[in-house]
Parts: sequence; C-alpha cells; structure tokens
Amino acid sequence: MLDRKLLDRVLGQVSRPVRYMGNEYNMVEKDPEDVSIRFAFAFPDVYEVGMSHLGMKILYHLMNEREDTYCERVFAPWVDMEEKMRENRIPLFTLETRDPVSKFDFVGFTLQYEMCYTNLLNMLDLAGIPLLAKDRTQQDPFVIAGGPCAYNAEPLADFLDLVAMGEGEQQIGELLDLYGEWKKKDGDRESFLRQAAAIPGVYVPQFYDVTYRDDGQVESVNPNTAAAPDRIAKRIVRDLDSTYYPDRMIVPFMDIVHDRIVLELFRGCSRGCRFCQAGMIYRPVRERSMDKLLELADKLVKNTGYEEISLSSLSTSDYSRLEDLVKQLMERFRDKRISLSLPSLRLDSFSRDFIEEIQKVRKTGLTFAPEAGTQRLRDVINKGVTEDDLVRSVTDAFVSGWNTVKLYFMIGLPTETEEDLQGIAGLARLVTDCYYGLEREKRQKGLRITVSTSSFVPKPFTPFQWEPQNTMEELREKQGFLRKALRMKHVEYNWHDPELSFLEAVFARGDRRLGAVLLSAWKNGARFDSWADQFHMEGWMDAFRQNHLDPGFYAYRKRERDEVLPWDHIDVGVSKAFLWKEKEKAGRGERTPDCRVSCAGCGIRGTWEGIC
Amino acid sequence: MRFVVEYTKEERVKYISHLDLMRSMQRTIRRAELPIAWSRGYHPHPVMAFASALPVGMTSEGEYMDIHLLEGMDIPELEKRLNRALPKGITVKQAVAVDEKVPSLMSLVERADYRIVPEDPEWDWKPAVDVFWSKPEIWVEKKSKKKVSSINLKEAVRDIRACGEHNRELFLSLPAGSSGNLKPDLVVDALLEGKDRALSFCRTGLYLRKDGKWVTPLALGKQEGGIG
Repeated sequence: MLDRKLLDRVLGQVSRPVRYMGNEYNMVEKDPEDVSIRFAFAFPDVYEVGMSHLGMKILYHLMNEREDTYCERVFAPWVDMEEKMRENRIPLFTLETRDPVSKFDFVGFTLQYEMCYTNLLNMLDLAGIPLLAKDRTQQDPFVIAGGPCAYNAEPLADFLDLVAMGEGEQQIGELLDLYGEWKKKDGDRESFLRQAAAIPGVYVPQFYDVTYRDDGQVESVNPNTAAAPDRIAKRIVRDLDSTYYPDRMIVPFMDIVHDRIVLELFRGCSRGCRFCQAGMIYRPVRERSMDKLLELADKLVKNTGYEEISLSSLSTSDYSRLEDLVKQLMERFRDKRISLSLPSLRLDSFSRDFIEEIQKVRKTGLTFAPEAGTQRLRDVINKGVTEDDLVRSVTDAFVSGWNTVKLYFMIGLPTETEEDLQGIAGLARLVTDCYYGLEREKRQKGLRITVSTSSFVPKPFTPFQWEPQNTMEELREKQGFLRKALRMKHVEYNWHDPELSFLEAVFARGDRRLGAVLLSAWKNGARFDSWADQFHMEGWMDAFRQNHLDPGFYAYRKRERDEVLPWDHIDVGVSKAFLWKEKEKAGRGERTPDCRVSCAGCGIRGTWEGIC
Repeated sequence: MRFVVEYTKEERVKYISHLDLMRSMQRTIRRAELPIAWSRGYHPHPVMAFASALPVGMTSEGEYMDIHLLEGMDIPELEKRLNRALPKGITVKQAVAVDEKVPSLMSLVERADYRIVPEDPEWDWKPAVDVFWSKPEIWVEKKSKKKVSSINLKEAVRDIRACGEHNRELFLSLPAGSSGNLKPDLVVDALLEGKDRALSFCRTGLYLRKDGKWVTPLALGKQEGGIG
C-alpha cells in the first residue's frame, strides 16, 4: 500500500501536482476487488503529452468496458517528482487508485517515438519491476508494448515480455481473455507467453534468437520454440464503423497539448510518400462513415463539454466527404459555439470555398508541408505537391484573410543537393511574392512566414529503410546554409537538433544489441530525451562506448538489398519487394501515383483480400 | 439572468489551479446545457466570473462564481444540472438569482476564513497563537509578482484562534479580494517560526460586508434584498 499522506505531502512540493492527481471528468472508477485483471496503461512521457494521445483514449475505455478488467493510467513523472519519489521511496503509481504499478497484471507501454525509450526503463525502475524480462518472476506484471515504434521494438527486446503489432482493438481482448483463463489455472509465466505467441500479431521477443555476422549485420532471426511463428503479422480492424470508439473521453483539468475532442476520420494513407513510416505501416486506408462520425460527435460533445473538435487522420483532406462533413458539423454545433480544427490538411486539395468555410470557425495559422525545395526532390520522395499548388493555396489563403503561413521541410533527404536547399528559400520568397502580388486592400497586414526543417530519419518499413542518414556535421552545415538563405523579411527559420535526429535514426533501425546501450544511457542519467532541456548527448555517446557499439553503423550505413534487416520477421502487410521497387524508383526520380488512382501493388491486397 | 453559485472544492481535486478550474467550469456549463450567455471574439466562452482564486493544494467549503444565463431558470433545476455535470469533488451547494447591477464578486469580497489542520495528531496550536497575541507587532515580507513589501501581521490579521479538540485546528480570518489580500501560509509560517509541518489548508468561506455585517455572497440574492 502506498502511504497516501506521504504522497500528499510530496504533491505539495512538486511543480504541477495536477499531473499526478487523476479524478478528471470521465475517469473510470472501479473497485479493484471486483476485477480479475488490472492493466496499467503507461505512457512514457508526461501527463500533458500522454493524455493527448488518441490510442490511449480508445484502449483505456475499451478495456474498461470489460467487467473483468480495470485499466488505469500512469505517466512518466517529471524530474522533480521523480526525485521526490526516490527520496521518499514512493513507487510508481496509477492515477485511478494510486496503487503501485508493480502489483498490476500488465503494464502496457505505448511507443510513439524513439526518444521515449529511457523513460520506459525509468518507469519500470520506479515501479520496482525488474528491467530485464528474463529477471521477472511470477509476482511481476507482464510488460507489453504497442504503437508505431513497436514495429521495430528490437532495441527494447530485452525489456519487453510481449509486443502487440498493429491495431489493438481486437487483439487486446483476445490477450485479456487468454490471461483470465491462465490466471485461474495459475500457470507459470512461460506458459502464458507461449499461448500468447499464438495470438496473431503478438510478438514475444525472447522466443527468437538473433545471430550476427562478423561485420555486425544481422545474420538471422529464428524462433527458438515451436510456439512462436516465423513471422509476426500486424493486426488491423477491417471495418471502422463496427469497431469500438469511445463516446466519452477523459476531460483533463490540466491544459494538455491537444485538449479537444478527437474524431478519427480514417486510418492509413494512400499517398505513398517514401520517407513516411506512418504512410506505410498504417495501410490500408479505411474510412469511418460520415453518419458514424456525426453520431460520435454528438455523443462526445454531450459527454465531454469540449469546445473544439479535431478531425484526425494522416491526411485529412483525403477523407472522401470532407467538405460535406465539415459543413454538417459546423451547422450542428454552431449554436454551441464549438470550433473545428483540421490538422494535416494538404495544400494541393484546397478550394477557395472550403478555406472560407473553415475560416468562419477559426482563424489560426495555415500549415503547408512541401517537404522538399525542388520538384525533382519532391518527385524522389513521392510528395505529390507542385509549386503551382502552393501558389494557388497561399494566394487563396491570403485573399481569405490569413497572414500567417507555416512551411514544413525535411533536410538530408536522399539525393539532396544545394539546389534543393536553395529551393526551400525560393519557396519562402515565392510565398512572400504571392502576398505582395495582391492589392493592398485584398490582404491582411502583418505577413509572417515560418519555415521549419526537420532532419530526415530513415525509418523501417519505408522505401528509404536502406538509406544512410546525413551526418550531424552535414546537417549542421545545411542548417547554417538555410539560416543565411532565409534571412529575409517576414521569414523566421526553425530547425531540429541534429543530435536528437541522429539518435532517433540509430534506434529506429536498431537491433537487440542496443538494449545494453539504452540501459547504460539510462544509468548515465538519460530520460526525457525529447525535452531539449533534459537531453545530454555525452551520456549517450558514453553509453555507446561502454558497449563497444558504433552508432554510425546504425545511422550512417547504406544497407544492401540482400541484408537481413533486424525487423524482417515483422510483417506489416507491405512487402519488402515493393519497398525496394519504390526505393529504385526514387533513385530515378519517378513518381508512384496515389493508390486511389491505381494500385501500386504494395502487398496489402494480398494480405487482406478485398480491403482496398 | 445572473446567478451567484456557491460550490466546494474537495480533497480529490485540490491540486487544480485557478485556470484549470475556470476551464473545467466552462466545460461543466456546456455539459449541463445551460442557456448561457457567450463572450464575444474568436474563441467564445461562457460568461462567468469568480470571487477569488483558490491556491493550488487547498480545499474549500465555500467558493463563489457568477454566471449569466440568457433566460430564467428554476434555482433547484440549475443546481441539479450543474451537479450532474460537475467532476466529482466539486459540488454546488446553493445558487441564488442576483440583480444585474450588483458589482462583481471580486470587488465585493473582503474577508476569507481558513482552517488549518496538521497531519500530526498530537499537535496543539495554542502556544503559537498565544505568542502571536503577546507580541506588539509581527513584521513579515510579502512577495507579490512585482515587489516585496513588509507587512505587520498584527494589523492585517482579522482573527486567529486555536480551536477544535485539543486545539489541533487553527482558525484564521484574513483580508481578501481586490482591496487587499493576505495568504494564509504567510501567517502560518510566522506562527511556526520557519519550522516545516505537514498541514492541510481549507478555505471555509468568503465574506463581504452588508449593512455592517459579514455575510457570504449568497446574501446578494434578490429575495434577500440584494445590494447595489
């Protein structure tokens, strides 16, 4: 039992104690005595980041629909809270019951980005759960992970008992059913893992042996037990309308990052941008019907009291009935003064009418992501956006009263040259010209253009998975070049820290040997690495040295076609042959049309017949 | 139609900030589907005002807010709808209809009372309170956002008493509102002379002066005559 008075005293001493308070509207309350399975849903970042995550909202309410299960939440305590918890020996606890996480049946982490991995280790440690899966015993929870980074969870393989591949709505139910049965019979840990490995999409890392060649490349990944399949295929739900979606969501007291109703329009993306992992791993495209969305919107508005609805997907403008949906939502909620936000709008699909429609509700800045500065490079990455699209969209936007434009680019893309960088500055100038090309009375005063560049990180399951990343020095040079080139009126330039992008690249395409590096880095004090004020590169470089591993091997090395990749035993439905073909087309600067125009043969159709 | 609503903030939600509370009340009012008056601008929100901000970590038995509805509503109906829509731990005790001309609660409230209870079951406030009354003056530093000023607690404090069983509870009555505000921890720190104690703070009420008497903002209600 946790000493609640002690905890209360500690909460009085930390910043933002509301992060650890819980008791929000729509929090699920159950008596733990009434359930047989306790699941701690763990997000390896602070509350305000974790609570913004849609997957957590869905799975939290889904699991709590079950009478036999109580799903509770836990987030990474911020550094001041961690210090107090260690000082006072307060173990990691859930928000719902404040019970120690160590006494739960499952601790489930969602892995949204690589730089949260040390937080996962830190949370296990704060919970008093053995870090290494092999050291866990009968009393310990099963540690499971899911989310986009779980598709290559190899760097975390030593720490995880189970990995759930793909969409969890059906799979988690099967796993909990199995666990309920197993717990009644009081079987041993290994017997549960064996049975779990038979559930499609469940990966048990310890059931696979990895061998390496002398040069450090993976030689083979093979199951070491008949209970484990050769390849683990991700799960998807076929029909979103009949799939569970919560009609209530927790309404945090604290101001979180995305504090609004989230309506998920569809999953997957048909565009096929070659750098984009989400565009590949979440295939195929499946839409939720407009009727279903309107029904959900009604309930969510009633049950949460939120003042804003966000339409969420990978590419919102691709929703087949977007204009219709937006009009209907606006009509329905006009009297309630509810606003709409539409992230991920693509610039090639704007119409003047539509822009004006959105503008009635909200006048925030406009975001465009050409990703690359020249048409040549945009063809290489298969980003189907042209200069004309940009000109038309920003001109329309300026006429409609906008004066703030954000432009997103990536630097360090394969085949990039100085001309492509120059092109970024060129597009910023072009946007300025569009603005001044309008008569004074047709535009708002106070033009502001923000150019942001992220650094390209080659990701598994993309056509660029074989490509080297630019070195940190190259990236710094390119950023320096752009700082000069973008020194123009009305333009502000932001860039990403190359050190973080480098580590992201290492762990995105990492193998199991990196588990030791994570452990060393964590011991060196690494946590909250995605927070600039908490990130320290030295600890990481030291961790690589301690374990005699060269991070450049992972980030900077070009892979050959026949190389065994650490994640080859995971099947996301998109074939390796297709990815290679796309990589070659990229090299030739050839485009691949949107799947809705013609099927590119990515392999999804073979896996799920009739789905797209 | 203007209403003054009296509500509590209990243990389970005591770490929410004033801003958090305001946002939460706005969403509560939306969930309660009240015919609310809206603010103007790009981000319209329900028109509401609070009597006084409650510090993070403090519970309260009597907080007050002002809301404006576009049409009249039965008081019990209003209370019921709000209580159904509120997060657990915030409870509406009572609401009254108030004349539109009554000045803002923030400008009327002049006094706040507090009850301070230590975790230590053996604690006795009496010695510290006796010392307080025996001193002719007690100067402490009061920090605000802009400046540090000195203040004589003997003049500022309205009342201070040890009470409850074995004098374990401290009753404090302090100036509050726009006419001058004194935080209870400043007084408690002076009483404890810097010693660290685990204490829980509860604001027991907010008061304004009406016809020479201290009353809660509920006394602004129309049926009781109102002021202004």
